[in-house]
Amino acid sequence: MPRDDRYLDPTDSVAVPRKTAQRPASLDGKVVTLLDISKAKGDHLLDRIEELLRERAKPKAILRRRKPTFARPAPDDLRQQILRESDVVVEALAD
Amino acid sequence: MHDGVFFEDQGLPTATVISSEFVKAARAQAEALGAREYQTVVVPHPIQPLLREEVRVLADKVWDEILARLTTR
Amino acid sequence: MPRTTKRSGGPDSQADAIEDLYAWGVTDGLPVVPPTLRRVEKAIAASGGAADDLIALVPPNYGRATVEKIAVNAVMAGCRPEYMPVVIAGVEAMCEEAFDLHGVSATTNFSSPLFIINGPVRKALDVNCGTGVFGPGWRANATIGRALRLIAVNLGGARPGVISMSTMGHPGRYTYCIGENEEENPWEPLHVEHGFAPSDSTVAAFAGDAPQGVYDHRSRTAEDLLTTIARSLEVIWHHKATALGDTVIVLSPEHARTIAGDGWSKAEIQRFLWERLRKPVKDLLPGKDGGEGLPEHVVARFPNPERNETLIPKFRAPEHLKILVAGGTAGRFSAVIPGWTFPNGSNLVIKTIHIRA
Repeated sequence: MPRDDRYLDPTDSVAVPRKTAQRPASLDGKVVTLLDISKAKGDHLLDRIEELLRERAKPKAILRRRKPTFARPAPDDLRQQILRESDVVVEALAD
Repeated sequence: MHDGVFFEDQGLPTATVISSEFVKAARAQAEALGAREYQTVVVPHPIQPLLREEVRVLADKVWDEILARLTTR
Repeated sequence: MPRTTKRSGGPDSQADAIEDLYAWGVTDGLPVVPPTLRRVEKAIAASGGAADDLIALVPPNYGRATVEKIAVNAVMAGCRPEYMPVVIAGVEAMCEEAFDLHGVSATTNFSSPLFIINGPVRKALDVNCGTGVFGPGWRANATIGRALRLIAVNLGGARPGVISMSTMGHPGRYTYCIGENEEENPWEPLHVEHGFAPSDSTVAAFAGDAPQGVYDHRSRTAEDLLTTIARSLEVIWHHKATALGDTVIVLSPEHARTIAGDGWSKAEIQRFLWERLRKPVKDLLPGKDGGEGLPEHVVARFPNPERNETLIPKFRAPEHLKILVAGGTAGRFSAVIPGWTFPNGSNLVIKTIHIRA
């Protein structure tokens, strides 16, 4: 957006650069959390992803977690729990 | 997007599955939160009228992409 | 009147500013007042706070709503400096967790924050509470609502088609601000019902669709009139929607008088409407009378759903029906305003307006 020095800026850019996590070579022996955002049909997608994980990868565990509502970010305690107990996350399904 | 950006920032690889209509919104939200590089896994819109079996087919279609998103494979 | 206006020789600097600000991408599509330093300083001075006082972080982008940033947007919206305390309270209300501006700003639904002003400030700032209350013509309503909308976009990121994905939007997304007609309200006004003193001035934020008209010219009793209103509420979202939360009912003064004249309290109205708006499971099944209906996991709780008579309420509790009085003293019309009310969705939030002494 072109800025204009004659006027004060009505916007605010606060973004601090965020990091991207290091990836493992495979999901073998990893704990995978499947996070349902509580929007209808997301559970069907995650059910199938869980089956595919069991058939085609060798995860140590698959954890199913659910946000109370898709309308907000996950609550802090759920975020912290997921951080503690998992190695990777699949979150679905925003539409 | 807030959750995925948070998890990645905390060191947890995350694959966020969204429908195709929300690609632009997801990108704008990730950028606004400082995660310019954030990648999503995209399934075709719409989802809400689909039957269980139709949704399961979508999971098969994006399986490889989810795996690629979560690992260095 | 002369037939032509006299042409000035120089450039039209105001018109240029309007084009520049539109090109900057910080407007709602209508011309804005250029936020010059002088105008913004006057707004800050009238706010009662310092320029860098942080009022809130505006979801979903969490831009910092400092007094100065609020003032810049208020100037652009056309606010007079003395509106600043109302705009600040509105920012506090819409940024409170319970309001869920994150969801309201990102959703595909219609919703937009509606601001409802109560208390003595309505008179002091000439806020319209009467005839044409949702319409144009009053600077306070028009510009306070617009300022808050610009703040949701410029500081919160709710830019249409980018982060705000509302399929339809609605005209209230330009500005959506009313005063309650307390003088014509036979009951306690909204803020008093929620624990504030009558002498407090407050602003309530409510995530609402556009107002839907309820026409009833002929009912002479509370029960008859409330039955008409119930039948109008029955179809909000769709005719089988259930588990709804905060929803606003704006009674016109004439309608309010008919209901209060029969001795009904607000709580009795809420209870009556809530009870009338229950339907048996068998009438709420998807695929019968339309594809919408109860979610599968809810249907699964009931044996023989096709014949099950268990009553399911449209609204989660009677208190979710928020009753106001507003509009002109002539006309037997009320309005219902559907909310953005998923469980854990948006709730009505009320904040005190701190007027500078």
